[in-house]
Amino acid sequence: MTPVDNMARSGPDPQVVKQAINWMLRLRNNRANLRLQTQCEHWREAHHEHELAWQRVQALQHELNSQLSAIPGAHMALENSAQRLGRRQALKVLSGVVLMGSAAWVSRDLTGWQRWTSDLATATGERRSVQLPDGTRLQLNTDSAVNLDFNAQQRLITLVRGEILVTCSTEVSAPLLVRTREGLFEGIDGRFVVRQDSDCTRLSVATGNVAIHSPHTADGLSTQVHAGESYLVRQTEAVLAPPSDMDVGAWADGLIVTRNMRLADFLAEVGRYRHGYLGCAADIADLRLSGVFRLQDTEKLLAILPQTLPVRLHYRTRWWVSLERQV
Amino acid sequence: MPSSEFAVQTLYSNHHSWLNTWLRSRLGNAADAADLAQDTFVRLLQKTERLELKAPRAFLRTIARGLVIDHWRREEIERAYLESIAHLPEALAPSAEDRALVLELLEAVARLLDGLKPKVRKAFLLAQCDGLTYKQIALQMDVSLRSVERYVAEALYHCYVLRYEA
Repeated sequence: MTPVDNMARSGPDPQVVKQAINWMLRLRNNRANLRLQTQCEHWREAHHEHELAWQRVQALQHELNSQLSAIPGAHMALENSAQRLGRRQALKVLSGVVLMGSAAWVSRDLTGWQRWTSDLATATGERRSVQLPDGTRLQLNTDSAVNLDFNAQQRLITLVRGEILVTCSTEVSAPLLVRTREGLFEGIDGRFVVRQDSDCTRLSVATGNVAIHSPHTADGLSTQVHAGESYLVRQTEAVLAPPSDMDVGAWADGLIVTRNMRLADFLAEVGRYRHGYLGCAADIADLRLSGVFRLQDTEKLLAILPQTLPVRLHYRTRWWVSLERQV
Repeated sequence: MPSSEFAVQTLYSNHHSWLNTWLRSRLGNAADAADLAQDTFVRLLQKTERLELKAPRAFLRTIARGLVIDHWRREEIERAYLESIAHLPEALAPSAEDRALVLELLEAVARLLDGLKPKVRKAFLLAQCDGLTYKQIALQMDVSLRSVERYVAEALYHCYVLRYEA
């Protein structure tokens, strides 16, 4: 190969590039070492490829360093976004498999399934409703994920994150179980909502009955939960929840229904359905809000707020919205 | 009509609605899906030399998948950056124009860092963004000095290849 051909190729040999990088890093950590500097200069002079690789590596290093060190928050932004991007890619691979699998099982009749497992997930802002092979209807709220394991002994739904609404099918005798980080629940009949919060599970029964098997009562018994009741469940105990300022399960109809709800709590709830930051100034956090809001378009939902409360929306970007007191 | 334009039209009418549906299932959002479907065909037009496609769907999917990841990366970068400056008082917070510039820059760097192992990425960011010495990085990550050197060298080589040889 002639030298001209060699230059026309894409550039220095990979080994030479790696050597150049090693020289640079060694020098950076031994700035005062004159002998090392001389050795490096000899290496650069030994071949024009060495010098070219050296120049490029220096330029790259300088570019990255000058840009990144000047941006406050760059490290956190790059690290966090890389992690989330990785999770998102992994998640979508899973849900792709589910979509393909679902076509196969949806058409099967009730007697067709013996053992069946699957994973379902929704993205932020997405809601999804599926009919399971036993006839149970499962609705996933925004940013939720479940693993399903159905066999002749039990129908187990593991809520990994988020919130589900279960409408029990009673045509099958195997118990219908929902497991969360904190507890194990059995849907006897009717409809109920299970929500995984950061520090506890919230169980709300709309119609019918649910039993809390774990954690059990001090007597070692299951707690029976009836229509209209909500329980807060932690590792050690399940306690009756105070009345909610929001209609549990309204999301399944695409709504948030509030009664005298704090603005800050309301925004935290709406924030589950959108990306980015949504918050309010401290001096308006305790304003109260009652009404029926559509989840379909949270931009529109937010735009309504200044009509009912003395607040204004401050859009820094599409993903950064803060509410302030209207002056 | 040049044959390449014709080929694109055929491709478009045969596959556009399928592509739209595929993108929607990934993005969970009709407006973004429509945008990216459009971008996919624009990308295709820029590669006019390869229009006699044996497997057009696979090819479109490859382009579209890349665009979806670009789209997510942009979203995640913006979100993470806004979070990282959220604690700054209003007076210190960058202007809208500065933010746009910074986001563009971060996105370019994030693309360079794509595919790095988490430890390699972490060592590299500690060195480049925070200006830590290798000793400090070794302490913070609880690995040997030699590993830190290896990580940073690996990250730089990765960036070099993307920058000069891609």
